[in-house]
Amino acid sequence: MSPPELGEHFFRHEYGRLVAMLSRRVGMRHLEMVEDAVQCALLAALETWTRSHPPENPSAWLFRVAHNHVVGELRQRARRDRLVKERGPGEPDPAANGPTAALAGDVRDDLLRMLFVCCDESIPVESQLVIALKTLCGFDVREIAERLFTTEANVYKRLGRARGRLRELPLEADDLSVEQLSSRLPAVQSILYLLFTEGYLSSHAEEAIRRELCDEAKRLTLVLAEHPVGGAPETFALLALMHLHAARMTARQDGSGGLLLLEEQDRALWDQREIQVGLEWLAKSARGDVFSRYHAEAGIAAEHCLAPSFGETRWDRIVECYTLLERLAPSALHTLNRAVAVAEWRGPAEGLAVLEGLEPPSWLAGSYLWAAVLADLHRRCGHDDVARRYRDAALGSAPSAAVRDVLKRRLQTRRDSGKHQASDAG
Amino acid sequence: MPKYLCLQRGLPGGGKDGEKPSPAQMQAMYAKFNEWREKFQKHLTDIGGGLGASRLVTTQPAPDGPLVEVKELVGGYMVVTAANMDEAIEVARQCPGLVRPGSGVEVIEIHAP
Repeated sequence: MSPPELGEHFFRHEYGRLVAMLSRRVGMRHLEMVEDAVQCALLAALETWTRSHPPENPSAWLFRVAHNHVVGELRQRARRDRLVKERGPGEPDPAANGPTAALAGDVRDDLLRMLFVCCDESIPVESQLVIALKTLCGFDVREIAERLFTTEANVYKRLGRARGRLRELPLEADDLSVEQLSSRLPAVQSILYLLFTEGYLSSHAEEAIRRELCDEAKRLTLVLAEHPVGGAPETFALLALMHLHAARMTARQDGSGGLLLLEEQDRALWDQREIQVGLEWLAKSARGDVFSRYHAEAGIAAEHCLAPSFGETRWDRIVECYTLLERLAPSALHTLNRAVAVAEWRGPAEGLAVLEGLEPPSWLAGSYLWAAVLADLHRRCGHDDVARRYRDAALGSAPSAAVRDVLKRRLQTRRDSGKHQASDAG
Repeated sequence: MPKYLCLQRGLPGGGKDGEKPSPAQMQAMYAKFNEWREKFQKHLTDIGGGLGASRLVTTQPAPDGPLVEVKELVGGYMVVTAANMDEAIEVARQCPGLVRPGSGVEVIEIHAP
């Protein structure tokens, strides 16, 4: 009998699975203790399995060890409490829910429940994201800080806020009703969307690290999509857009980690299987009369994926999707993207007209995106002085060397060759 | 071939184990450890383990003075078969996680009759 092979992210995914299962059994207010117990169980596995071999059923082994830890800890606390207040009611005996009963339950239920609990509206969104990364994806504080481009102290702060809120929640909050689940679904979708974009848009140099976040988002969204509670058209559209973006991820970089513009990308590198899966989810999302922002974004991504070349892109359809997107989720960024698409469709002057009179919010006005698009459109309209001013602003606020390089190349070739092409709007 | 006893032991001033590894790091350690085990298969006579509870057995009453338990000094052990001390040291050195800041391995020759 050969031991079972452990999957690629076995330890991380087991962490998420076990935390979700155990915290459901003992309550979210014991979350931290549960996380410690799971950490201990994984360490014990590392120690034991490297000396012998992993057991027949590694997941069951881990559950047993972590469960015993939790039970032991709860008993100890109950004993302490009893000493303090002389025979209180104490904790219910968690051993009553034996591990065998626990394993019979659907693990995906537990993961989803955890995700919904983390998306409590009283927890700030940036804390929701961090606690999801910690508990469901099994990243530790250092890894989260690295992935979100922030400091460990900041991650601790956000985690602390989430945990504090989870501890304060009334006990009933652990078991969400069907109505609560449905009303919280949009929050869950947006946290998964955020998780995906953190990976997809990250300027992290290592593709593996960016892809990992995208994979986690896809994994959890799939669980959501396949569950009656989350199987809504918006969820399908969300999953579609993740696949359609992920399909083009590898092609976004050249061999040495530099960024490539959409028109420079080798479309043969696009992952056809991912595109296929994305289109299937998109088709599924078309049922019913819901059209969400995810539908619009998936529609844009699909147009890019289906275009045989940059020149043959259906810019009219992309403009239409951006118009819908602006209506569903008003943002100056979407208007900016629409301007880029309009410029491809009807020429740079029309693109500029879209932006006329638009007062961008300060976060956008100060970003390289705004300046770069304006530099590009003005340049193509022959407004050299304005173009140069925006170009300098764009280069000045580029967040990384890779972005600066791509901007230089892009805004430079224009001057030399006068070719009219736009960057990826989507 | 001679056998060697390898004891993992804390170094003075090395105290703490450092940070707890994350699940992803554990995954990497697991893979590395298995590679190491594969590579030195024929040397690893007894892969050993950590040390647990102990009791001192004596023919006379245990001495009164403070007695340091072996467990306090030694984190774990293994037995390696190697042609010589250098080869045994190499097996121990390449073992992932065994030699790290704060701890080292003492490789001791076992005299067989």
